[in-house]
Amino acid sequence: MSHGFELEPAKGPARPDNPAVAGIQTVLNWINLTIVRVSMAAMLFTALILTYSVVVRYFFKVPTDWQDEASVFMLIGVTFFSAAYVQSYRGHIGIEVLSSLLPAFINRLRLILVDVLSFAFCAFFCWKSWTLFHEAWVDGQTTSSTFAPPLWIPYAMMALGMTLLSVQILVQVAAAITASSAASKARGHA
Amino acid sequence: MNPLTLGVLYGIVTLIVMFSGMPIAFALGAVATGFMYFFMPAASLDTITQNVYEEMASITLLSIPLFILKGAAIGKSPAGRDLYSAIHAWLHKVPGGLGIANVFACAMFAAMAGSSPATCSAIGSAGIPEMRRRGYSPGFAAGIIAAGGTLGILLPPSITMILYAVAAEQSLGRLFLAGIGPGILLVLLFSGYAVYRARREYKIAYAAYQQGGEKSAYLDDEHFNFSQKVEMLPRVLPFVTLLIGVMVALYGGYATPSETAGLGALLAMVLIAIVYGVWRPKQISPFITSTIKESTMLLFIIGMSLLYSYVMSYLHISQSAAQWVVDLHLSKWMLLSVILLMVIVFGFFLPPVSIILMMCPIILPPLKVAGFDLIWFGVVMTIVMEMGLIHPPVGLNIFVIKNIAPDISLKEIVWGVFPFLLLMLAAVILLCIFPQIATAFPDMLMGVK
Amino acid sequence: QATTLKISHQFPGGTLTEGDFRDRLCRMFAAEVEKRSKGSLKFEIYPGSSLMKTNSQFSAMRKGALDLSLVPLSYAGGEVPEVNIGLMPGLVPSYEVGAAWKTNEIGKELNKLLLDKGIVLISWIWQAGGVASRTKAMIDPDDAKGMKIRGGSREVDMMLKAAGAAVVTLPSNEIYAAMQTGAMDAAMTSSTSLISFRLEEVSKFLTSGRGQSYWYMFEPLMMSKAIFDKLSKDQQATIMAVGAELEAFAIKEAKKDDVLVASVYEKKGAKVVDLAAPSVKKWQAIARTTAWKDYSDRSENCAKFLKLAEKLI
Ligand code: NA
Ligand code: NA
Repeated sequence: MSHGFELEPAKGPARPDNPAVAGIQTVLNWINLTIVRVSMAAMLFTALILTYSVVVRYFFKVPTDWQDEASVFMLIGVTFFSAAYVQSYRGHIGIEVLSSLLPAFINRLRLILVDVLSFAFCAFFCWKSWTLFHEAWVDGQTTSSTFAPPLWIPYAMMALGMTLLSVQILVQVAAAITASSAASKARGHA
Repeated sequence: MNPLTLGVLYGIVTLIVMFSGMPIAFALGAVATGFMYFFMPAASLDTITQNVYEEMASITLLSIPLFILKGAAIGKSPAGRDLYSAIHAWLHKVPGGLGIANVFACAMFAAMAGSSPATCSAIGSAGIPEMRRRGYSPGFAAGIIAAGGTLGILLPPSITMILYAVAAEQSLGRLFLAGIGPGILLVLLFSGYAVYRARREYKIAYAAYQQGGEKSAYLDDEHFNFSQKVEMLPRVLPFVTLLIGVMVALYGGYATPSETAGLGALLAMVLIAIVYGVWRPKQISPFITSTIKESTMLLFIIGMSLLYSYVMSYLHISQSAAQWVVDLHLSKWMLLSVILLMVIVFGFFLPPVSIILMMCPIILPPLKVAGFDLIWFGVVMTIVMEMGLIHPPVGLNIFVIKNIAPDISLKEIVWGVFPFLLLMLAAVILLCIFPQIATAFPDMLMGVK
Repeated sequence: QATTLKISHQFPGGTLTEGDFRDRLCRMFAAEVEKRSKGSLKFEIYPGSSLMKTNSQFSAMRKGALDLSLVPLSYAGGEVPEVNIGLMPGLVPSYEVGAAWKTNEIGKELNKLLLDKGIVLISWIWQAGGVASRTKAMIDPDDAKGMKIRGGSREVDMMLKAAGAAVVTLPSNEIYAAMQTGAMDAAMTSSTSLISFRLEEVSKFLTSGRGQSYWYMFEPLMMSKAIFDKLSKDQQATIMAVGAELEAFAIKEAKKDDVLVASVYEKKGAKVVDLAAPSVKKWQAIARTTAWKDYSDRSENCAKFLKLAEKLI
């Protein structure tokens, strides 16, 4: 049987032209990669937890009352924490029909505007996530299940993830504004 | 402003923002938040994060990443390629054989997963590259996977059917069974189209080659003798083992539907570790990373679209529209047509889950009075909502494909999907003429209602 | 100028005269208040979680983002631990005891607590429940041994675990599938939900809640205090009056469902059993040392609530 297993070449996110912005992006990339490594482990662990749930219930008639919720928390964490990573690759999909219709300069403006608007929304969501986290922390809120884990855990993951995402978009805006025109022209037509 | 005017405004603003190129997830969230600010009590803005969290924090929804992981483990490892080589060896004489194989693979995966995008991703990650490698045009490859993926919610188990059964107060068991006939119908329609389309693409490729053009992979004349074919068979073992393992766990009563997601993902990983020696972090990280990318993208869209539909519901837009239709007192089939049309329009923006929750309470009573069997309607509505999954602007399956094969342009995907939309419409019409396609199976097993 | 208020709930939607009684109660409430307030108050009803997720409702009311909701109070137990008393197994043995809460100390304290959290109790509604099972009838605690059961709340789960059951947690929309395949043996929930989830198709036994039960759930109609305070005195009085008047309707309909569920299951060939006083006592004894204890150990306030409620049994 064929063992030829091809790794895709690791394509990093586009590198900003401005050295300062590029520096920040490098730091972000490092954070994102670390998070993705942890997320991978979390995802496998979730699969393991759910399998464990099946096994112990069926063979040992043991209550399985925390596995679902633990899985939910893990996957919420994975989703929100890796949002910035996905954004760094422009992996949040949009409808790109205008890019082929507009002249390069206007297209560049459009992309910046779209990023600014995305940033505004994410920053707002981020702010409200932190207040939600704060409430849950102060009131000692938990879920209403038997397991009853504290709610500040998922809320904190949501807030941190959205913070990282907002910063990531902001850096992309900065990169676009400070981009040298030759490079941006090339990208505008890409 | 009355709800209907507000609804039109909501739709127009959404279209503008989406076509500006803003990522779908942020566009939905931003439009929803904007309308909250202008048209809803200030306190609403304080609840957006909790709303999104409560919508997302369900193991049913969060099983999507695990289903995608299960698909990726098979589809992106050598297991996927081996599976497709074997299928190719057996079916290469059949025009469109690989396309048919993909439709069947979608149907099989659909019986293990409750969500359409997950089905689409699982089969597409190997299916699309394999079809393209063998000469299928990108649009057709994308279209058949996007459409095949929609079987995820038509064949049991299905997240949306569960919701519908509760809203319509119908038997879930009956509804699940009623989805099987139409599911098979769609499989046949899609397969038939695959044959037709492959023949045509072959002819075009042949003509191009004759005139000195490039030789398409379609024209590669391969021959497999019987012993070669038999040798290929063990290659489908990992997939078949996974399929049987998950089916037994789910239908044998060992695992709950969401546990099946975790179990299946783990089983897939174990299988490729044993059979292909793929277990080192370096080997498995590419497809776990791609799973994370894809599921994060999807869950963000789903989470934000639930926020979007919350605003729509709060402003009474969908309810008023549905009520307006009901108040027209149309004749039986007109009522059905207008309601289905409305489901299509809502399908522009909303995932099936939201459509069911908002529309069912209003449209079901008059449909019942008009004499429609609500089990039958549930199936018809599911197919129409499936169409929404593969048409823009918000079509989750399209985004999944865009993610799997970023080099296929959105335009190609949309055109590739179009014939399948027509086929699904044909299925709906067939279901109207022959309701037995849906009802015969449950009637046979559970007795006539 | 009319004020439009939104009522949200998780139950299937119907009409004034047909469907789930909890939805009908909301519709009757809306129609009557609109009439008596001479149209100055109007309502929009969102059944089947069509506005927001069940768990978001309580918190949204507290913030003033949702006007009214009919929801099991114990769902908010993670936010306000005291309200777990709304689904404390064995603590309420009959509809009569439940109804007595409102006018006794426990009701007054509960009212005060909720007002303090930004919630006004409009209509006090209790509902009995039972157990649908596919393997054996669950009557006494001994029957629960080794059964895979979904209790549906922290307190009920504790009692079941102590009885030796393998408690399963899964979303309510997966109950049917899990019962069908056998991933789960039994589910404990309200009579009305036992019907609307259609578990009779996948069950062979029903322990009904008619007559006696150890499972009574408090699911009141509630209103956001922030919104309530903005209304005129007359409007407030109308809302409270109509809410109180509907309590009799709720008891009548809840009892009807307790009987109806039995006949629905019987028709499908399931064996229906009723609980006798000794069985209820046995469950209560277990609940007392598990769920009750856990609850009153949480805080002084919880201990006080439990004591006040115990006075009524
Ligand atoms: Na399915
Ligand atoms: Na769509």
